[in-house]
Amino acid sequence: MGENCCGLTVGQMVPDFKLETFDPSKGDFGEVSLETLKANKKWTILFFYPADFTFV
Amino acid sequence: MGAEVITVSTDTKFVHLAWQREEKMLENVKYPMGSDPTGKVSRMFGVYDEETGLALRGTFIISPEGKLLNSEVNYYNMGRNVDELMRKFKANLHLAKHTDEGCPSKWKEEGDKTLKPSAKMVGKVYEAYEGK
Repeated sequence: MGENCCGLTVGQMVPDFKLETFDPSKGDFGEVSLETLKANKKWTILFFYPADFTFV
Repeated sequence: MGAEVITVSTDTKFVHLAWQREEKMLENVKYPMGSDPTGKVSRMFGVYDEETGLALRGTFIISPEGKLLNSEVNYYNMGRNVDELMRKFKANLHLAKHTDEGCPSKWKEEGDKTLKPSAKMVGKVYEAYEGK
């Protein structure tokens, strides 16, 4: 992934990534990809947290 | 709100499903729950804790062009405030349209005072901000 491999800092371009998801709005599994979000001109907010079944 | 919010932990999508169905506090939460069991994406954002295999409480705002604009990481014991996040997100939307402006610390929403950095303002931020 080159120079943006880890510990991205603000101002850098985020490399494309994909994540498998559970999407509660559809009640189904799915996938999100930054490439698709960018193609749809979407702002993206990533909200990391340590673990399910704990407070967020 | 005009952004795709994705929550991410190192749990699998199966655990996400189980938690979302079990926990009443999540009844009205409709954001896609991303699964990062290998920690690949968490590492990319510098929030992967190698000791525990968990992701720290990191919040990142990415523009539609794919540029990282905000980055905030809290340690395990501090939760995040949605108002703080919304302020940053709204400021990004404003600044994307008004590229010559800056949103000062007190900026909260559209219509609040912004600043236009210039030679005239050097040493005179107070006057520019207070309109004096």
